Amino acid sequence: MSTMIPERSLTEQFPRLAQNGGLDVRELERLRARARRFAHEHMRPRALQIDRRTGEDPSSFDWDLVRAGAEAGMLGLLIPKPAGGAGGMSTQVAVVMEELCAACPGIALIFGAHALGISPLLLGGPSQWDGVLAELVASEYDSEPQLMACAITEPEAGTDVEDPDLLRHARITSHARRVPGGFRLSGTKRFISNGSVARWITLLMPTDPRRPAESWTCFLLDTRSEGFAVSRVEHKMGQRACPAAELTFDEVFVPAERIVSREGDGAAATTIVLACSRPPVAAIATGIARGAYERVLGWLQEDPAARGLAERQHVQLALAGMEEEIHLARQLYMDAATELDHTALGGVMSHPGVRALGHVPAGIRSRAPVRGWLASERARDATIALLHRSTSERAVTRSLALSSMAKARGGDVAMRVTGAALELVGLRAGPIRAELEKLWRDAKLTQIYEGTNQLNRLEVYRGLCHAETMNCLPPLRRVHPDPAAQAHTNGDGNAHLQPDPPQRANVDGNGGRS
Amino acid sequence: MSAATVSERAEIRAMARELASRELAPRAAALDAGGQDVLAECWRLLVQLGLDRVLLDERHGGAGLGVADLLATIEELAVGDGGIAMCVLLCNAALATLTDEQLAVVPSGARWALVPGAAGTEVRFSDGQLDGSLACALGAHGADGLVILLDGPQPAAWAIPRDAPGLKLQRDTDQMGLCAAPAASIEMAVIRSAQVTGEVDGSVGTASAPALLRAGTAAIAHGIARRAHGMALEYAHARRQGGVAIIEHDAVSDMLAAMAVRLACWPQIAADPAGLALDGERALAVKIAASDAAVASTTDAVQVFGGTGYMVETGIEKLMRDAKYCQLFPEPNWVAHDELMRSARAGRAA
Ligand SMILES: Cc1cc2nc3c(=O)[nH]c(=O)nc-3n(C[C@H](O)[C@H](O)[C@H](O)COP(=O)(O)OP(=O)(O)OC[C@H]3O[C@@H](n4cnc5c(N)ncnc54)[C@H](O)[C@@H]3O)c2cc1C
Repeated sequence: MSTMIPERSLTEQFPRLAQNGGLDVRELERLRARARRFAHEHMRPRALQIDRRTGEDPSSFDWDLVRAGAEAGMLGLLIPKPAGGAGGMSTQVAVVMEELCAACPGIALIFGAHALGISPLLLGGPSQWDGVLAELVASEYDSEPQLMACAITEPEAGTDVEDPDLLRHARITSHARRVPGGFRLSGTKRFISNGSVARWITLLMPTDPRRPAESWTCFLLDTRSEGFAVSRVEHKMGQRACPAAELTFDEVFVPAERIVSREGDGAAATTIVLACSRPPVAAIATGIARGAYERVLGWLQEDPAARGLAERQHVQLALAGMEEEIHLARQLYMDAATELDHTALGGVMSHPGVRALGHVPAGIRSRAPVRGWLASERARDATIALLHRSTSERAVTRSLALSSMAKARGGDVAMRVTGAALELVGLRAGPIRAELEKLWRDAKLTQIYEGTNQLNRLEVYRGLCHAETMNCLPPLRRVHPDPAAQAHTNGDGNAHLQPDPPQRANVDGNGGRS
Repeated sequence: MSAATVSERAEIRAMARELASRELAPRAAALDAGGQDVLAECWRLLVQLGLDRVLLDERHGGAGLGVADLLATIEELAVGDGGIAMCVLLCNAALATLTDEQLAVVPSGARWALVPGAAGTEVRFSDGQLDGSLACALGAHGADGLVILLDGPQPAAWAIPRDAPGLKLQRDTDQMGLCAAPAASIEMAVIRSAQVTGEVDGSVGTASAPALLRAGTAAIAHGIARRAHGMALEYAHARRQGGVAIIEHDAVSDMLAAMAVRLACWPQIAADPAGLALDGERALAVKIAASDAAVASTTDAVQVFGGTGYMVETGIEKLMRDAKYCQLFPEPNWVAHDELMRSARAGRAA
């Protein structure tokens, strides 16, 4: 009996990968092999020990693993090549996540949450390449890797901040108050993965609490800023190696140029980020299921206590069911990831303008006039215009729905497979039971974070069953409703709310079909 | 052993319910963390109420009640903490298998545990000596004595006090669920001795110990599911998302309804609880149904809580872990299915 998933190349499994112009499949194979090696050498041997330690002290954190991960290239996956990263997208992160999670989902989440923290910056376009992204890459080389986190959830708003329509009526208690030169942030964010260890956080808050959806804005926060505090680190059921923290903001100053994209673009940015990050979360779930399956196979083969069990049809059918579920879960997340990278957002990344800028040496890009232009309102508008030209709201809505489907199904598969694996093994002695129990605890989170499975399925309804088109691209131009407020900005015309809240498109007399 | 009258039974149930909500539920987190002091504290309270010896007659300091009363009691205790309820079940089942002579030397307040010898484990009895090892024996760590149920020919069970020479226990530090019944791995090379150590017949009055264990585990699973439903319902009224209490969302109320349906089926499933411990097959079936229902309900309950449910301090994810152990104890449910079918096959063959 094999103890590994049958090896077929990625192209054999997913022919569509080869059609994705921007993707080098051989490079993806190499990345997968590297992730598998890292998981095998560094993660699996430490998984149980770290889980026990963080169970006792949730704030303990293993920086050695992060350093090892940086060496293996697990931190720069999403960072664009011009900034020194691997230039990956959803597909690369997903493929890596499956490998890492088969070893330890908690450790993998450190790298996954880091990628989630980076993803809003990608929407900022070339203006972000030479700032924090380049700093993150540099930090990897001097063995002091920096981590990122993404903070959206608030105590009174979890599901409500994961959907632009719900956000409209959400009880948001955070506020980014405009002050000369920037904003003062106050409020609390909850359950933020990597929140207590991150050097930088992409953070979403409204600049006008009365209109959270329209003024939802993404900021890049330096966690060394005055007024920022980690108020607690949660004691979690599973995925413990990665701390989930409550963060408080007491009038934290953020300069206006640290707005990612533009003021008010946050709701659309969140939707796109979720479309990108749900396939990797589905891959996390698939990896957890695979980890449990592989451990049971190994146990049946190697442990004398399991002798003869594999001859039982019950056991054979249970294993076949696991193989089937894992296979389907992988097909779903790869379909969602490639749809997003290839169809929904592929055009942006392969746009000749973006590629040409990528060839400009960083030294030239960072000269004052070029840097000034890249950070200007016009350049930000141009990035959004490019987004509009390269994709459509329908394409992103569809992609979000596919991502949500993969995520919800993946979470259920992870729970079923780990539960069934634990049942096969029972209350035995030895590490096999402890490992399976851990994976089962880890699995439950995949039904909750990145939007609960219920919310994800409602997105499937909207995007596929009802063929809706959501407002998921930032508007082409932002017009400031209040010229007096404009005078408070740093003069570059930053931060401009649209007068009318965006309407949900295409939910009309023709049944909402576009 | 006699069954209580209807009013006596209601009284015992009410007493257990009161104890569960006033004393056990507030200590559930500490019990879950494996604290031995808090376990000792709870055990003292249980002993004061006579819940360690429900099935024993007054001669042996017991309440002289029946299996149905014991099951009702542990279901109520499980609403407070599943692990404590398991300790009570294991102790009552263990003491009820002892002979009068053996019971005479068991001090009052002692916590014993019945340990099922799982299929496939190596426990041998020959020449008056019991040899072998058992893993993850719930309630064994810190117990004053063990009754090991043997899988196979006579003797059906074997009683061993904690200090018997040749008995070695090691705490199972990875125990995930029912942590107030602290598990240990057991090594045995134990020789029959004059007083306590030796064979017992594995029957609990007219019931059999394995059937009692399964019926009791079912009652515990049901108690856990009740608590999960209660907590989820309360939270669904309090938590607002989408401008309304989350109970208003079908996605949430569907989960609560499914929990309520599973709970409503319990009286049908567990009809005639006294008979349950007499009928090995029915006990198996009820244990499978109740533990599967508890796992489904507790998993949904965590989901109703969203991210808050994943945090240990909320106390809801603990119910999920406890319920999972009910699926795995005394044997995993697939093995229990197997057991059921073994007798069905044998019946047809005969
Ligand atoms: C360990 C962990 C790590 C996390 N990491 C991060 C992170 O890095 N960054 C971040 O921003 N967030 C993070 N989160 C937050 C996570 O995304 C939220 O927990 C999730 O979106 C659910 O929100 P909630 O917990 O507030 O649940 P709630 O929104 O309160 O949901 C409770 C229940 O109500 C249901 N419900 C709510 N609204 C609706 C509706 N409109 N229709 C139908 N059903 C509804 C839900 O499905 C759920 O069953 C993390 C959470 C956890 C547990």
